Amino acid sequence: MLMPKRVKHRKHHRGRRQGLSKGNHVLHFGEFGLKALEPAAITNRQIEAARIAMTRRIKRGGKVWINIFPQLPFTKKAAETRMGSGKGSPEGWVAVVKPGRIMFELAGVPEPLARDAMRLAANKLPIRCKFVTREDG
Amino acid sequence: MAHVALHAHTRTEFGNGPTRRLRQQGMVPGIVYQPGGPSLTLALPGRDLRKALNEGRTGVIDLVIGDEPARPVLVKDWQLHPVHLGVLHVDFQQVDLTQEVEAPVQITLIGNAVGVRDGGVLDQPLREVVVSALPDSLPDHIEVDVSELTIGDAIAVGDIVAPEGVAIVTDPETVVASVVAPSSDVGDESSDEGEVETTDAGGGDSPS
Repeated sequence: MLMPKRVKHRKHHRGRRQGLSKGNHVLHFGEFGLKALEPAAITNRQIEAARIAMTRRIKRGGKVWINIFPQLPFTKKAAETRMGSGKGSPEGWVAVVKPGRIMFELAGVPEPLARDAMRLAANKLPIRCKFVTREDG
Repeated sequence: MAHVALHAHTRTEFGNGPTRRLRQQGMVPGIVYQPGGPSLTLALPGRDLRKALNEGRTGVIDLVIGDEPARPVLVKDWQLHPVHLGVLHVDFQQVDLTQEVEAPVQITLIGNAVGVRDGGVLDQPLREVVVSALPDSLPDHIEVDVSELTIGDAIAVGDIVAPEGVAIVTDPETVVASVVAPSSDVGDESSDEGEVETTDAGGGDSPS
């Protein structure tokens, strides 16, 4: 599962997700990509699930690039705990994604297969996504 | 390559509001860089601009601003909307048709590599090369034949045969395309490790 090796601070503020993606909105590595159309915090489990769905569909034929990394920790208070007494303990990691960001890229497979693999990957993510090709940009 | 004609008018209002209103009218703001002169700000019809960009991004454009005579320009840069990829802004560079210019030209791979037929994956780390040529001689794209590549082979910039009148400026040792072996990992089904690369050490978009 993707997570940082070492962090400066264990707990972070979660911030707000305003606006559009500042970069990485065109394909840089592969022939096809999956673009986010909504802002979201994608967990490392969701990224892993999407990757597995994609690689199973393409049967390890092509090459996959993951352009997002879950570097933001989120915390959760234990069940049945009263409010107060400080911030909860770190629970997981998320990647902050804004509209326009290419999250996954794919190469080395025909377009119909890539489209289907990306559809399966998109089903594992909590946001609407769009399949993009090099011709789109 | 035949020149594409584009009509534009000078832009007099600047800033977020006027530019937003301009885009709502279907126009695209732009700028022309002139050698030895001031830059000109202009507005172009978005549909005509898109058509011109689709004709080829290295072709010379005859840009007519208002009633002035046409000036030859090349597209230097353009900004796209992150979601719908509409053109937000375009930069032109005015050129002298008798002087050589340097411009990036797209690389198109042709042929079906032997290594891909054997199960390898064709990887193309370099998508464009910088070439030096007269503006009218700039090719729309450069074709590179990869049909001879077997698994483990690579084609470098130095192997590309440039069209007549065109010199490639990019480092000749830079790899354009290679055929890499497919992932040999067929172990644990739950891990399903294909050929996966995590490209972003910096993470996602930072929360604002």
